[in-house]
Amino acid sequence: MQEKVEAAPILSMNSVEVLYDNVMLAIKGVSIQVPTGEMIALLGSNGAGKSTTLKAISGLLKAERGRISRGEIAFQGTDITEVLAQNRVAMGICHVIEGRRVFEHLTPDENLIAAAPRGMSRSVLNAEKEKIYDYFPRLAERRNSQAGYLSGGEQQMLAIGRALVTQPSLLMLDEPSLGLAPFLVAEIFGILQKINRKEGMSVLLVEQNALAALEIVSQGYLIENGRVVMHGTAAALKSNSDIQEFYLGGGEGTNFHNVKHYSRRKRWLS
Amino acid sequence: MDWIFLTELAINGALTGLLYSLFAIGLVLIYKASSVPNLAQGGLTMVGAYVVLALAHDAGLPLWLAIPLAAVIMFGLGFGIERVALRRLAGRPVIMILMLTLGLDIFLRGTTLAIWGGTSRSVELGVSYDPLILSDIFISRIHLVGAGVALALFVAFMVFFRTRTGIKLRAIADDYMASWSVGISVEHGVGLSWALASVVAVAAGVIWGEIQGVDQALSLLLLKGLTVAVLGGLDSILGAIVAGIILGVIENVGADFLDPLVGGGSRELIVASVLILTVMIRPHGLFGRHDIERV
Ligand SMILES: Nc1ncnc2c1ncn2[C@@H]1O[C@H](COP(=O)(O)OP(=O)(O)OP(=O)(O)O)[C@@H](O)[C@H]1O
Ligand SMILES: [Mg+2]
Repeated sequence: MQEKVEAAPILSMNSVEVLYDNVMLAIKGVSIQVPTGEMIALLGSNGAGKSTTLKAISGLLKAERGRISRGEIAFQGTDITEVLAQNRVAMGICHVIEGRRVFEHLTPDENLIAAAPRGMSRSVLNAEKEKIYDYFPRLAERRNSQAGYLSGGEQQMLAIGRALVTQPSLLMLDEPSLGLAPFLVAEIFGILQKINRKEGMSVLLVEQNALAALEIVSQGYLIENGRVVMHGTAAALKSNSDIQEFYLGGGEGTNFHNVKHYSRRKRWLS
Repeated sequence: MDWIFLTELAINGALTGLLYSLFAIGLVLIYKASSVPNLAQGGLTMVGAYVVLALAHDAGLPLWLAIPLAAVIMFGLGFGIERVALRRLAGRPVIMILMLTLGLDIFLRGTTLAIWGGTSRSVELGVSYDPLILSDIFISRIHLVGAGVALALFVAFMVFFRTRTGIKLRAIADDYMASWSVGISVEHGVGLSWALASVVAVAAGVIWGEIQGVDQALSLLLLKGLTVAVLGGLDSILGAIVAGIILGVIENVGADFLDPLVGGGSRELIVASVLILTVMIRPHGLFGRHDIERV
């Protein structure tokens, strides 16, 4: 079904290698493309290098003493490999980091305000906030309570909402489903899909929950030991026997902490 | 029991306490924006006073001009400290940053000693030394002025932390990484908090310099300021005000009872006990943010 004319990719990552502390090679030549307006999944087990890939794109690597030692990343045709993280946000890349790190001592409303880009007028910010509360009505109800006491699902919604305030054209999410009940995952993924359709926002979704992710994306990449080992349409990945065995085998609500054990031994490159 | 005398002790204690608050607000500002206790706040306060003196007495400017000018200079110094020293340490363990601020305090003390020497100088604010007498109660005018400044700064910062910039500073204190992830300039925010704390240091330096003279001993205010900040909750401006009043009253009234028994010096004991007991019994102080623990 991918025969349609490929639009220029909003993001293209070419053989990127990342070093932590100048010694630890975390990803080894990863190439990924996100076509404009599409949702793409990045799958893989623990320690595969998914978060590192997102941090390379958002520029947050620097905060963890990591750096890109080879390859380059282009966003909307511009090389951003050397651009500061905060300027990448201004360009339209926003990274919802692992573990729904909301500003716990702020209210949801203040969380959204904190993310407002410099120079965003009060009226635009208010409109932006209302739009986010429309997407996530649960947040609207609790907009003035302390964010640290929201439920896990609400915190994930807030983390996504907070990213939306920056008005990204590429939204990257790192395991938004982690630790959430299946109905909440469905709710959040449904909203992501809605945002993608309504605003044409491109999405790069990192997930261990391949089953849920492959339902909403058009293509997926599978990454193991810092390398991309498989790339295909969602349909192709879903029917792939390896993926079925190791990622979808457990049926609904697969617990990846069990699956990881097996996938570690699996040789994707064999 | 002499009630008038006791009331006088309590009122003057509360006023002195508000002067501790004035100092502690600087500590709270930095903690609120970066979760780092600034052990150099005493040094900054001392430098703030010296800069005012340099402008007023050495350069001959009138005080009404020297004080705002010193505030501007110290604002720049605060930003400079972040740029030169703290930026390299962003994201490192707090203990490293703590040691850095301690080193900075010693450095500032040494610098003032080298430039201006160690003799105590007076500010000569021009506030009368005659006490104000309110129905038999004697009140120090300079303390009254200082308490007023503390309360004005309290109101100003309560408003500030509800503005967009203030909210961003609180966000930074919560989570550096999450702040970076939405494009907040953590470096700029931390710099701004140091700049504001340095301005507060000018206010505290002038008032305390007027009371006890300007010399390196000003930096020792850190001990009482830290006690107030910890009792108030380290990140609470309201806490700094309330805790200042509490500590001032306990110290003044308590010392009056205890001094005859132990033969003097009980003030330090009282302050130390408050600090130790707070940390042991209520580590987040009166109004401090709790670390949220939920599974
Ligand atoms: N800050 C860091 N310093 C050093 N090594 C790191 C750092 N962060 C990650 N690594 C290493 O890089 C490799 C890839 O880690 P990464 O976090 O990208 O994996 P992941 O696919 O996101 O895993 P998970 O599913 O557990 O989140 C791992 O071996 C990890 O130990
Ligand atoms: Mg990860």
